[in-house]
Amino acid sequence: MEDTRQSQFRKALREVKSLPTLPGIIVKLTRMAEDPDTTTEQMGKVISKDHILAAKLLKLVNSAFYGFPQKISSLNSAIILLGFNVIKSLIISSSIFELMESQDVELWEHSLGCAVVCSVLAKRLGVSDPEEVSTAGLIHDIGKVAIKMELKQEFETLKQMVHDRQISMIEAEKELLGIDHAEVGGWLAKSWNLPAKLVEPIACHHNPLEAKDEKLCASIIHFSDILIRGLGYGHGDDVWVPPLSKTAWQLLNLTQHDLDEIMDAVEEKLWDVKGFSLEIQSELENSMTS
Amino acid sequence: MQQILSMQAAEGMVLGMDVLTSDGRILCGKGTSLTATIIERIRKMDISYITVEGHPVQVEGEKSLEQELRDIEKRFSRVKHVPPLMYIKKKIKQRKVAGRKTS
Repeated sequence: MEDTRQSQFRKALREVKSLPTLPGIIVKLTRMAEDPDTTTEQMGKVISKDHILAAKLLKLVNSAFYGFPQKISSLNSAIILLGFNVIKSLIISSSIFELMESQDVELWEHSLGCAVVCSVLAKRLGVSDPEEVSTAGLIHDIGKVAIKMELKQEFETLKQMVHDRQISMIEAEKELLGIDHAEVGGWLAKSWNLPAKLVEPIACHHNPLEAKDEKLCASIIHFSDILIRGLGYGHGDDVWVPPLSKTAWQLLNLTQHDLDEIMDAVEEKLWDVKGFSLEIQSELENSMTS
Repeated sequence: MQQILSMQAAEGMVLGMDVLTSDGRILCGKGTSLTATIIERIRKMDISYITVEGHPVQVEGEKSLEQELRDIEKRFSRVKHVPPLMYIKKKIKQRKVAGRKTS
């Protein structure tokens, strides 16, 4: 009995009908970014065809979140300064960003905070593409959004289970659905044709040991999720700091001194993120009272 | 340090971080004591939030320091056997306490 119900959940989540698909432009840009003959102008032309995307992209590039030192005002200079791969990550982020922001502010803040930690860690560890790691951090919980939208009733039950029994969301998911948000997020990322560098870390963020090619990136996201929860950016009644994978910890190889400096850097960047939500909150309150 | 909206700024508050203009120049440095003129300038520049020393603005429904520290304990209550996480917990608590001190 239980098995057939759980396989129905699996099927529903595999198909994810309620989630918007990523715009076709991303598939096109991904292909272009991989082609060595693509020029900056060609890429800028494709992006600028979608005005909303272009505006969102520039807004994101110039936000405190990415913190590039100078203001970037044109698409072409953004592409030259940042490179194709960064632009690709930014486009993916800006599309998914909006989806998460509208769905669940708390989860959005958790994700944004996690991405901040990821970028600090990735830069410190000298990872070759830190923006890609931040993007993975930003969308690591996308599976939760899918569960919420696809299985509305069950999502309420999950929240109730977390509240009543003081268990974590992932424990509740495994018990009720027989699957967890990390695996669902991995499917989703794959179905959106996101690069393998994003798919694996999303799917393995609770168990980086399972990652085959992207162990380091998965470990960075695993630890960032832990640190940001420790700093109080959890999700609903699930406030707990999750267990730390030994393998991930050994791979990151951080000393106490590293941790001190990482927390300093994260705190400084988080001020900006917090200011950002403070601003949004006050805009919301103003629009409600006026 | 506390982050406040610039409309909550009052004379005598001390900046905890530099206030930057939208193109990244420093409008007012860390440690500056706010005067009516400076506050007006900040508001005119459309800067929506600033960081000040201490914790001058009481936010309704805000948690007390004791409650915050209890929350931190609760968050870390299931990883007590993991030394690096206990170190992080200790540091987060120290930061919380230091952040609330009015200097």
